[in-house]
Amino acid sequence: SSHEHKLNFRKSKEACLSYIQDALLQKQWKRAAEFLTCYVESLEKDYSREHVGPSEIIWRIGTEILWHHSQSSMKEFNCFMEQMKTLGVKRYLKVCLEHVFHLLCNGQIDEAYQNLSLAESWRFGEQTAIQDKEMKLIEAYRGLLDYYSWSKQKNILVEHSEDGFSDLAVEQEMHSYFRKAAVNLKEIIKIPGVWDVFVKCYVDLLEFYGDHSEACQVLNEYAYNSKFPANPNAHVYLYQFLKRQGESKKSLISALKILHDIVPSHELMIDFNTMLQKSKKRKKRRLGLEVIFAALDYAGWKENAKAWSCLARQMKQIVISEKHLDWIKQEWNSRKDWWPAFHFSRYLAKRNWQENKSLSYEKALVAGILLGKDCKYFKYVSHHGCKAQLKRFRMLKKFVNRHNPVYLRISG
Amino acid sequence: MEFPAALFPSFFGAGPPREEGGPAPVAGWGEHGQVLEGGPGLRQAQPAFVPRRGATGERWEAADAAAVPVLLPSAGCWIPSPAPQDILYRTGVCKKLRAGKSGATLDFARQLGHFFVDHPEDAFGSLGQLLHKNFYLGNSKLKRPARNSTIRMTALVEDIDRLEARRGCPRQHLASRLRWFSHLCRDWLFEVPLGLLADCLHEELMHQWSNLLFDDSLTGGALAWLPPKDGGTSVGHLVHPGGQAMNHLYFQDVVLEELPRARGSPAHFELSGRVRQVAAARVDGEDFVGVRSDYHCGVWRVPGRTGAAPAPLQVIHTDVPASCLTVSPHLPGELSVCTQSGTVYLWSVETGLQQLRHDPQTMFFRDHSPWRWSDFTAHPRVLSCADRTGLQCLDARAPKKCHFDLFKVGEEAGCQQGERVVLPMYLGRAHPSQYLVTTQFSVYVLDERLPLVPILKWAHMMKAPPLFAHLMPGNPGRSHQVLLGASCTQELLLLQYRASFWGVSSGGSQSACQLAGTPQKLHSIAGCLQHLPTQLPHRQHLLQQRLAAPAAGLAATLQEDGLHKSMLVFQLSEAGDVFCQRLTHKAAQSPAPPSRDEATTAPGSSPLFEAPASSPQGLAAALRYRRWLRALSRACRESPQHTWHPSLSQRRLFTRRDLEGPTGPSSLQRQMRQRLRQAMQEGGRIQHWEPLAVQPPPLPQILEPAGGPDPLSTRLTAAWAGDWEQWWEERTSFSVAQRQKALRERRRRQKRARGRRSLSASFTSSLTYQSELSELSDAGLPLLSPGRPPILSQEGSPPAGSPAVRSPPTSPAPDEALLSSQSLRCRGIPKERRKTLRDYLSVWAEGPPEPPEPPGSQASQLCIPSSQSQLSSASQPRRKRPRMGF
Repeated sequence: SSHEHKLNFRKSKEACLSYIQDALLQKQWKRAAEFLTCYVESLEKDYSREHVGPSEIIWRIGTEILWHHSQSSMKEFNCFMEQMKTLGVKRYLKVCLEHVFHLLCNGQIDEAYQNLSLAESWRFGEQTAIQDKEMKLIEAYRGLLDYYSWSKQKNILVEHSEDGFSDLAVEQEMHSYFRKAAVNLKEIIKIPGVWDVFVKCYVDLLEFYGDHSEACQVLNEYAYNSKFPANPNAHVYLYQFLKRQGESKKSLISALKILHDIVPSHELMIDFNTMLQKSKKRKKRRLGLEVIFAALDYAGWKENAKAWSCLARQMKQIVISEKHLDWIKQEWNSRKDWWPAFHFSRYLAKRNWQENKSLSYEKALVAGILLGKDCKYFKYVSHHGCKAQLKRFRMLKKFVNRHNPVYLRISG
Repeated sequence: MEFPAALFPSFFGAGPPREEGGPAPVAGWGEHGQVLEGGPGLRQAQPAFVPRRGATGERWEAADAAAVPVLLPSAGCWIPSPAPQDILYRTGVCKKLRAGKSGATLDFARQLGHFFVDHPEDAFGSLGQLLHKNFYLGNSKLKRPARNSTIRMTALVEDIDRLEARRGCPRQHLASRLRWFSHLCRDWLFEVPLGLLADCLHEELMHQWSNLLFDDSLTGGALAWLPPKDGGTSVGHLVHPGGQAMNHLYFQDVVLEELPRARGSPAHFELSGRVRQVAAARVDGEDFVGVRSDYHCGVWRVPGRTGAAPAPLQVIHTDVPASCLTVSPHLPGELSVCTQSGTVYLWSVETGLQQLRHDPQTMFFRDHSPWRWSDFTAHPRVLSCADRTGLQCLDARAPKKCHFDLFKVGEEAGCQQGERVVLPMYLGRAHPSQYLVTTQFSVYVLDERLPLVPILKWAHMMKAPPLFAHLMPGNPGRSHQVLLGASCTQELLLLQYRASFWGVSSGGSQSACQLAGTPQKLHSIAGCLQHLPTQLPHRQHLLQQRLAAPAAGLAATLQEDGLHKSMLVFQLSEAGDVFCQRLTHKAAQSPAPPSRDEATTAPGSSPLFEAPASSPQGLAAALRYRRWLRALSRACRESPQHTWHPSLSQRRLFTRRDLEGPTGPSSLQRQMRQRLRQAMQEGGRIQHWEPLAVQPPPLPQILEPAGGPDPLSTRLTAAWAGDWEQWWEERTSFSVAQRQKALRERRRRQKRARGRRSLSASFTSSLTYQSELSELSDAGLPLLSPGRPPILSQEGSPPAGSPAVRSPPTSPAPDEALLSSQSLRCRGIPKERRKTLRDYLSVWAEGPPEPPEPPGSQASQLCIPSSQSQLSSASQPRRKRPRMGF
């Protein structure tokens, strides 16, 4: 009966699919391709009402095989993609986008641009939410490619102007690229998302044409709009923009302060700390100590010699001046139960000494101040440093011994 | 670690997941996802783009055709966990019910019945003894004075039998006698009130069923690899559970050679519960191993010196089963523990437990699962805690105030409806701020500096949710390897991802995370079955069951010597077997040769055994297998099957009348009985289950009907001789009497077959699988030893003087016929005694009980105070079939 037929058909279809899957997962591309040619038959009698229909399956598997098959060529891939585009209306934009991605990764920028333009002009009835997003992405990527063309023209123009003559045609072409790019890029960065590349390009365009207020607004929106995810890069871009614009220290510090609140382990924290240490205000210097302590809490900073030297420098200053020892005390309070095992164990002393002498020097100074001269880390490093006749380690030992009472005040 | 200068573009939404759909079989293929400009930059003529997925990765190729056992199977047979058919109704009616929306139908009555039959003392002990004299189980009439105080139970038993036969019939009516009896004694007969017992049983059944659907107690895996210490030796430790109840912990030295090899005897600890999870981390050159069982968690330290014994440090006891135990990679002796009540603790060996959170509710939306997980993050004082709905990070110094959401099942991460977190894992060894989260559909990589937005997402397409994951960090600039493992399907998937593709040349900027290469399926334990030599069917079945046991853990290590780089992947099964496979690294740029495994993994071929001599490694693997198989069969045969001594009186078991058949026994039965008696007198075996002798037994002759050769032969003979017509005449006038005779014969045969079927049905309830297990001995062994009792099986030569017993292969073995319910019933042996008889016979069939097991090895220590010591192993000494909780 027809029901039975359908059932059998479905069964053999599933079996075929599982064979393909098996071959793909073992990188047997030829075997998978052979099975896929059989699976294509399932398109003819597509009774399924499943979430993922056979046409999507064929698109996905076929693409994967063509990526890896030793005998496939770009021409074949393009041909396959064109066929897949006609196979399902709902997936048209998705397939276009993936096709463009593949062209871009293979350096075929012009073909990618053509495909994007074609996809942009595609209309089919009411669009679903997903299709809407895909269309936005297509426009954005076209904007991005327009930006790259603009950038190319700009470089030509810069070269020409160095040679001392101007090219009006190139300039006009460049402006038209600017307009096309700006329209599309502006659209996508309004929607909540992660748009690092698009934002960077758009800001670059605006800066070139001198629209700094718009650029500033875009970056502020990207960083502070609560609908957007807390993307550290948004704050980094804003900070870099402010720095380029030569803004005041105060606004730079406030931008970095927010970055510190979101990501205390960001690599810009070293810049932030140096900036704060130089400040005349007590409050800022206090913040600087906080920032560097917080950064060194993270496992990724454990062996960052730069950060340790920042901390060592600031602590040395405080100890010598004997002012604000309470700052160190406060920072140390929440760390004294785990920093010794985390940073200042004997094992680490040995390893740091073997691998990075200057790191062990900075750490030993900090350890000596925080834990006194009997601390394992300090003892190991200063002992080995003195044995190796290194002058600065002898100085270090002297310094810590002289200031040992500080340790009592901090820990007490 | 620097944050990527630009991330791949993505939309960001909030709220519950919008995307519908379920498991999509191919969702992970054919997509680049997004692209990012990531080449040398704009200075060149054209920007270069890199995809989020689909970049070239490293090439890893399996060195062998199948996974190879690392350790020999431990003594004592494995008790398989219950299968669906053990706890579900099997009849047709219920199948129809199940097909509907009603879900699975648990076979409650059967389990309750099992309890009554298996534990009559616990079920009816006191009243059974009181009423012992008043119940009569014989067949004969009761005498006058006894009739006043005794009832005959035979009729009742017959009613029950009839009821059994009609099980599943929609129109069954209770026999009035039964109803009367149950009304009368329901309230007082049972030792445990029936309602209470039923409640407990039902709860247990539901629990077992949900465990069958998805058992999350294994999350994390119970296998850990402690890599060799810095010294440069190639000896690491494998930490794994073992024993029949998986309640022994072993620290085994393993030498990494072509095939990893166990060295010396392992350090061994006996624990008071089944080991669910083994977690390990190395801090300051020392390994800390955390072990989780349901109600206890323990931590061991393995010192850095080679040869130093692992030392137990501390044990904690929880009231609610613990669901997670992870070891801090930052600070020595710190762990995090979660319990099913929703409590998260930071456990420090020095300072004890610190409760970070207690919330029986799930975090982001309501989900019924009590599973909780916790792990460490880049900040040693910040812990992540997870439930099925997502992950949050808590600061241990102020857990109430300082926390943030790391991952949410929702639109933020582009999840699907119904998606749930299965296993989170801190990827600190590859990147200090990255996290892996697996769900039943996808795998996500998260960066805690950009919470909620996954920096990598990929649909893994695994058939079962990945409960185990293992990370092997690559060198800077290289890709990291992640292994995902599922439990019940034993799937193993190798993924590669890269955190930086930019290279140091352009300023060393970190770049966004991308998936490298295609995912790769690795060998599962069960996959080796097709390469093993063909076994006898029952052995094959046993082997299949053993090899297909759900996976229980996963560990792996990278090994580099000079130019050769290889990966060793260990997989643990619930049966306690540890298998290993080696993958060798191939240079990424080398043109793909015609893939070797495309030929070797074709169904039917088994390079492992057909041509083992071609490569020395193949030979080693084959030898390893042979040894493993031999040890397995020995372990299963020699395992002490009985811890109790049979204490049955031979005299009072059956009266002469009980054993006498209604019409007098046939010659075969008489003969069998004689042998039975003989065996009883000698206290020997009735049957031994050794496999065939070296020479195969003679082919059983086909029983021919008394009338001579079969019709076809006669017809052909007649046709050959030329008088075919005459034959036809005779044929058409085939006498009615003859036809009747043939019919009768056929009916008799059918009847016999039916009787046998009922026997096999009764196997599941009361007979042991002894025969199958004992038969699993080496086929090549010499058969007879002088001390053996006389053989009574059909394979052996018959004792002198008695006629040869030979039956067609389809008919039941003589003692089976003797044991079948039918034949016992027709002798008037009541059902209760029938079972006793069967048990009795099976006892003697197995030979005298083994001496008690010698005390454990010197290294064994009782570490965890034994509060509920080895419940599962001790209470199930004999049965191979799992039973619900009893």
